[in-house]
Amino acid sequence: MATRASFENTNEIGVFASLTNSYCLTGINRSENFYSVFESQLSQHIPVIHATVAGCRFVGRTTVGNRRGLLVPSTATDVELAHLRNSLPDSVVVQRIEERLSALGNVVACNDHVALVHPDVDRETEDVIGDVLGVEVFRQIVGGQALVGSYCKFTNMGGMVHPRTTVEDIEELSSLLQVPLVAGTVNRGSDVLGGGLIVNDWSAFVGLDTTSTEISVIENIFRLSGGQGNQMGQQSNIVTNMRSSLIDQLS
Amino acid sequence: MPVYNFKNMAPVPSANDLVDIVLTRTQRRTPTVVHPGYKISRIRSFYMRKIKFTQQTISDRLTAMLTSFPRLSDIHPFYSDLCNTLYDRDHYKLALGQINTAKTLVDAVARDMVRMVKYGDSLYRCKCLKRAALGRMCTILKRQKASLSYLEEVRKHMSRLPALDPNTRTLLMCGLPNVGKSSFMNKITRANVDVQPYAFTTKSLFVGHTDYKYLRWQVIDTPGILDHSLEERNTIEMQAITALAHLTCSVLYFMDISEQCGYTIESQCNLFRSIAPLFANKQLVVVINKIDVQPWETLEEEKRRMIEELVKESGPNTTLLTMSNVSEEGVSAVKNTACDKLLAARVDSRVSGNKVESVMNRLQVVFPTARDGIVREACIPESVSKERERMAMQSSNKSKKKKGSRIGYAPTVEDEEEEDDTPSESEDEMMDGEAGNSGRKKTARELMWENGGPGVWAPDYREQYDLADPEWRFDAIPQILDGKNIADYVDPDIEEKLRVLEEEEEQLQAEYEAANMEKMDDDSLDEMEKVAVGEIRDRIKIIRQYKERPGGNNRPVLPREIRGRTKDKHDEDAKLSADAIEKRMEKYGVDASKMVERGRKREREDPRVRRRAERAAAADKEMEDAAANDSDEEMQDGRGLSKGAIKRAKKEREQSVKREKSLARSHSRPREPSQMGLKDESMAKIAKKVESKGQMRWHGGKGEGDHTQSVHLVKWMNTGKKRNGTHYCR
Repeated sequence: MATRASFENTNEIGVFASLTNSYCLTGINRSENFYSVFESQLSQHIPVIHATVAGCRFVGRTTVGNRRGLLVPSTATDVELAHLRNSLPDSVVVQRIEERLSALGNVVACNDHVALVHPDVDRETEDVIGDVLGVEVFRQIVGGQALVGSYCKFTNMGGMVHPRTTVEDIEELSSLLQVPLVAGTVNRGSDVLGGGLIVNDWSAFVGLDTTSTEISVIENIFRLSGGQGNQMGQQSNIVTNMRSSLIDQLS
Repeated sequence: MPVYNFKNMAPVPSANDLVDIVLTRTQRRTPTVVHPGYKISRIRSFYMRKIKFTQQTISDRLTAMLTSFPRLSDIHPFYSDLCNTLYDRDHYKLALGQINTAKTLVDAVARDMVRMVKYGDSLYRCKCLKRAALGRMCTILKRQKASLSYLEEVRKHMSRLPALDPNTRTLLMCGLPNVGKSSFMNKITRANVDVQPYAFTTKSLFVGHTDYKYLRWQVIDTPGILDHSLEERNTIEMQAITALAHLTCSVLYFMDISEQCGYTIESQCNLFRSIAPLFANKQLVVVINKIDVQPWETLEEEKRRMIEELVKESGPNTTLLTMSNVSEEGVSAVKNTACDKLLAARVDSRVSGNKVESVMNRLQVVFPTARDGIVREACIPESVSKERERMAMQSSNKSKKKKGSRIGYAPTVEDEEEEDDTPSESEDEMMDGEAGNSGRKKTARELMWENGGPGVWAPDYREQYDLADPEWRFDAIPQILDGKNIADYVDPDIEEKLRVLEEEEEQLQAEYEAANMEKMDDDSLDEMEKVAVGEIRDRIKIIRQYKERPGGNNRPVLPREIRGRTKDKHDEDAKLSADAIEKRMEKYGVDASKMVERGRKREREDPRVRRRAERAAAADKEMEDAAANDSDEEMQDGRGLSKGAIKRAKKEREQSVKREKSLARSHSRPREPSQMGLKDESMAKIAKKVESKGQMRWHGGKGEGDHTQSVHLVKWMNTGKKRNGTHYCR
């Protein structure tokens, strides 16, 4: 099930929250509306935590993580780090890394097994990502964009990439990531998937402007309706059932 | 793709209003004061400005009007034809044409009258000409009364036209009056069209929207059409015909087989045949309506055959479906079939072109080929899968219970019945409503509203801490303890690491010192010298500190050798002029000439000036010597000369000296750049004065640009018979 949400009238909810299979971070805000969207959907399964990084609430762009760990940039203060450490379960490793490209959410995209990183990040950072998150790390660009965290989004189930990515590139990425991929948009045609889409293996949140076509593509490719058996079936819905609607709308 | 928005056209003022607007604007936006005493050119330009301004205002207004109304040849043929039927194309074009003519006329009048004002020889005549000009322009406007009011009516009507996109996916209903088109519209959309049991309830086009296959479909309800020739059709019918003719859409032709509408099946078939040309290249569904009254199966054989033949002869693109708006039987089937047919046609046309190539990546899911043997599992918590199972159970129960169709948005009969027992599932309800009845924890949002709303209440973030002992959560932990950041001590091995670091540092320190010791040995000064050097340095330090003391004269410090002969105020004894320095140094046995020279060098700004001074000094001396000789000789010879000759000689000498001094005439001396272009000393002096005057402001003084008001007696306040103190003011 994908839920539509907005943060103070902006559709870029991925900027203000980050979601993994074992925790969810949301930016601190004067109103609890945004937090409660996540709380009502997730709090019975995983901790949903208020957080800031360097006093700023765009935690979705500054942090990156998966179920094993969480990476925060060097700008995060000691108090914030202690807050995260206290709030997260012990199985999650919190690590602060010294990286020039401090918007980690924009330069790293990962699931529990594989990560794509911006071609310009330090070697050291690459090692830390591999160790803390327990993933294979690949330096890649997606659809001509170096900010892989902003322009693609994938979980252990499936993934979505920048709408300008060619079919050959998608094939290459898919064999790297070992998940089914499709090119797509959110928020009524926005290509900034990291901004408009927050997703983990069983739930998703999208910007308020997202159309029903976009939502159903998202639900199918990330297999959110929960059918365990028909692995290929749900994802190939996009090819079979939705094909005519997509053609009519896109071209 | 152009988007038609007739809603934001500006209102068209009536002729009288327009005249008022223009004249008021002219009055308010141009100068109003003119006196007969003014220069005639000024008076003329005053009135010319008024005329031109009025003309500009009028032509701006009229141009805005002309551009805001759509040109019938430029818009989509559907809208163009619709405008023709509703407003009459000729009338519309004529009205706009007249406005355009009025504009050119006003321009011509203004041009003429301005030309005449140029020859106006008094204020009065100019004014009369202006009045005439404005009067003529307003008369031209007043003559447009009819066109303006017509255009205003058109604008009002156009802004009420349905927002209909001619290029999108469209379902269009047509048929005789009263066959159930509007009822069907109400079933599948939320348009809420008026439905009445008499003919021509729908008098214009209505637009609604419905969802199917993730897409938004535009549904158009048309007024009923009667079966007669095109020339006999009235405006209401023509709207339906226009829509049928120009929109690429899926057409639903409604037939009432119960004949309750007042038309026989035969006449309905005849209408179908007569408008059949309009169905070319469209997806057609013949909808047999009102089967609750007259089921299709029990229809007379003859009539049934008539309808089937009709469908057959209209081509392979036509489908026959039965439905009833009352029992809702077949409603969704009709909608789905119509949508599917149109979608298939649209997709076919897209695929045959090369538009699909560019979105191919979004139409296909790429499945990975395994690159190694590792299984990459998903990670879904136990609680989630349990929750999902529970939801699946619930929904299957619900679907068993609920049988009614929920087509489009509009509530159906069964929905209304069920509404009482099934809770609605809107998001807000999920977040707010259920909290009370089930034992679920309150969300932060609910707590926030209970405790005063956003900005007033914020949750205690520590409540969620996941610590070994929940008691610890609210413990106060200082950031800084004993002057140390406690975050630096979270590491359990910190002591060990610190020890290693300190050892390393000690070692480094030792190495550094050892290296330094070796260097120290090279020093060549003996003890005495070191002491002397130390003293000197101390003194320098003291002097520097003295100068930098708070009350001191905070200027750049020049060393004495640079200051040269100026006195050293920190050394009271040494009143050091250049001579004194020389003398003193001589006493020490040092040649001070170079030092003094250097001091001079620093003191003078320009070495060229100094060199010149040196040269001049040398020349002077020579001259003096020569002059002394001369005068001696003269004195000797003078007795022999006449008085006049002496006078002449003296004058000549004076002139030569003057000539020598004249800067303009000197060839040998380069001029100082700041005095370049000035005739002589006096001019230079004046220039300098002017310059310093200009810079006064810069130095904080009053400048020539400053407003000054000197105290002076105002005559009218101080003369007359009124005595002091009798009046506050005149």
